[in-house]
Amino acid sequence: MNPQIVPIQRIESFREDGMLFVRTDGILETMVKTPLIIAGLIVVALTMPIQSSFSSTRTLDLTLYSDGSAHIFTHLDIDPLEPDFEVNLFGSSVDNFVAVGENGFLLSSEIIRDKVTIDTLGSSTITIDYDIHDLISKEGRIWTFSVDSPIDYSLLMPSNSIIVGMNILPSNMDLVNDQTKLELSSGFSEINYIFGTTNPLITTNPTINPVQPTIDIFTLALIGVPIAAAITGAVIMIKRKQAKSLTVIQPEVTSKSNTDFLDPETIFSLRPLLREDDKEIIKFISENGGQALESELRKKFLQPRTTMWRAVKRLERQEIIEITKKDLQNLVKLKKEMEKEE
Amino acid sequence: MKNIATFGLFILVASMALGGMTSNVSAQEDSPVLLKIAKRAQEQIHNQISADSSDKVKRLFEEGTKKVNALERALASDDAGSAKKYFLSAMKIFKELSIQLTTSDIVPDAATDSMSTAVRDPSNLLQRLQGYVDSLKTIAKKHNASINFSELDELFAKSKLQISDHQFALALETLHEIKETIVEVKKELHEEASIHESQRANEYAKKYLEQLDRLIEHAKKQGVADEIIEKLETAKENLSSADNPREIIKEIRKIMSIKDQFELTKNDRLESRVLQVEKTLSRLSQMDGVDQSVLDDAENILENIKRHLSESESDAANDLLRDLAKQLREINNSL
Repeated sequence: MNPQIVPIQRIESFREDGMLFVRTDGILETMVKTPLIIAGLIVVALTMPIQSSFSSTRTLDLTLYSDGSAHIFTHLDIDPLEPDFEVNLFGSSVDNFVAVGENGFLLSSEIIRDKVTIDTLGSSTITIDYDIHDLISKEGRIWTFSVDSPIDYSLLMPSNSIIVGMNILPSNMDLVNDQTKLELSSGFSEINYIFGTTNPLITTNPTINPVQPTIDIFTLALIGVPIAAAITGAVIMIKRKQAKSLTVIQPEVTSKSNTDFLDPETIFSLRPLLREDDKEIIKFISENGGQALESELRKKFLQPRTTMWRAVKRLERQEIIEITKKDLQNLVKLKKEMEKEE
Repeated sequence: MKNIATFGLFILVASMALGGMTSNVSAQEDSPVLLKIAKRAQEQIHNQISADSSDKVKRLFEEGTKKVNALERALASDDAGSAKKYFLSAMKIFKELSIQLTTSDIVPDAATDSMSTAVRDPSNLLQRLQGYVDSLKTIAKKHNASINFSELDELFAKSKLQISDHQFALALETLHEIKETIVEVKKELHEEASIHESQRANEYAKKYLEQLDRLIEHAKKQGVADEIIEKLETAKENLSSADNPREIIKEIRKIMSIKDQFELTKNDRLESRVLQVEKTLSRLSQMDGVDQSVLDDAENILENIKRHLSESESDAANDLLRDLAKQLREINNSL
């Protein structure tokens, strides 16, 4: 079940005129001209702010109650072209679910386990409210709140609660009607708390200061990041120049020893209208143990990033693969089961 | 020279991509917050430790106190890295201590009473149901639905009174009654909402059909195979004849699948932005203080954008859209 990482292997040197397999270095040198690279970089630089401004920006506020339940409020920006939208809930014990569209109208929704499909019908924003009983557990006197949040969020602790353990660093703390409100970063958080008779926050520290970001580190980062990028770029360029005529380095291949995924023939029979190039991708992933990094697919099929991204998204929409993150890269996995297309 | 330019742009792209990350990192450097949390935990644990507490508990508390002191010193010397380390260590120790105190040294105290009262007291349930009913009231108002909430209001008042009189069992019964009434109210609200949903679905389908027309025009100009055009035309007919939200969603999903299959999603992003701009324009037109001539101009630009999209002139559409979005943002900000 555990994925095996095949170490980077040094293959015997090939002379350029004898190569059967075209490497990315070769393409850059022989097919793509420098102006094209420059133009590509300009496009990336220009489109980056547009992409980030268009993406789904969200707010997430959690309120914990002293009986071990929690209330979730989230606001999502969504694509108005989509007829419906699927949202992952923080658990399956959900009560009092309400989804409202941009004009304050009630949206129809269907909750299946820890997912909800909302009929957005062209709405570009939605707000969701629900109560949940899956986030807090209790052992003895200690209550434990744990969540794996995809985004930064605020957490309003129950009245009279005192935090006695936490595995993350809050970015801010405030006092709202005698309740502690924390600002926390995305990722897994676990907070342990108990209930006290007095509120030490008031008795010991009457004022809570807002966040005062360390300017030095911020400034340092602003200066340091481009410098680090420059150094990394220079090292990569120098190394490429040195390495291209001598050796060919095979990319790191992620393989999986198990066969817990559908075989290509089954997939093709369930999705008879698949494109030929998509079939090739599926075959490759299957031969690679059922999973492959998106970058590996690009290298294998010599496809630009956007083309491969579209292909992968296409396969995901058809529920053939699932995409997860591995070391900040997209890991594409064949699904274990599929439903036949209508 | 070319290499230098490439290199410069690489740095630009890298700094743009990584720039956003730095602010997140710096936002975590909130020293006083860490110290306050750690000291509160320390004080709370200290209150629970008595002379009878085990040696292990006392030793752990000493260790935790040392970490808090180290945290304070690290903060005083602006050593953020060490401060984080000491904070997390201190909190780990205090958690361990809390577990120890729960299992061995537990002394019945007011805090325990407070906690057990919180479990029995249905105030939280009341609070959550009240919040839920408030949401339903807002939605009902938005839908102009004449739903009578007076029965629920009375039940809430009754349960509050019961809780304040510590009649928790009775309060729970009332809250159960509230839950049942909510089911009825929700049913009524869903009936009202479904009327609006049908209207919204039809409006959405109409907009989607407009977009589909542009897509078909674009596909024809791009020389897309007749077979694919035919599929899109058929899908368009099916969507036109769909007359309920579920069917509309189903037909649009089919169209999206065709678009995905034949890589006709190039303009989707622009079309999404067109829809958003249309919504902004519609919102602004309903507000006071917006010059009608400005709105008319914006409408004309929007029509031009759509024309450009039909004629496969994506760049021109993109430029106009960017300008129009900026213009609308400025109008919005000036109000």
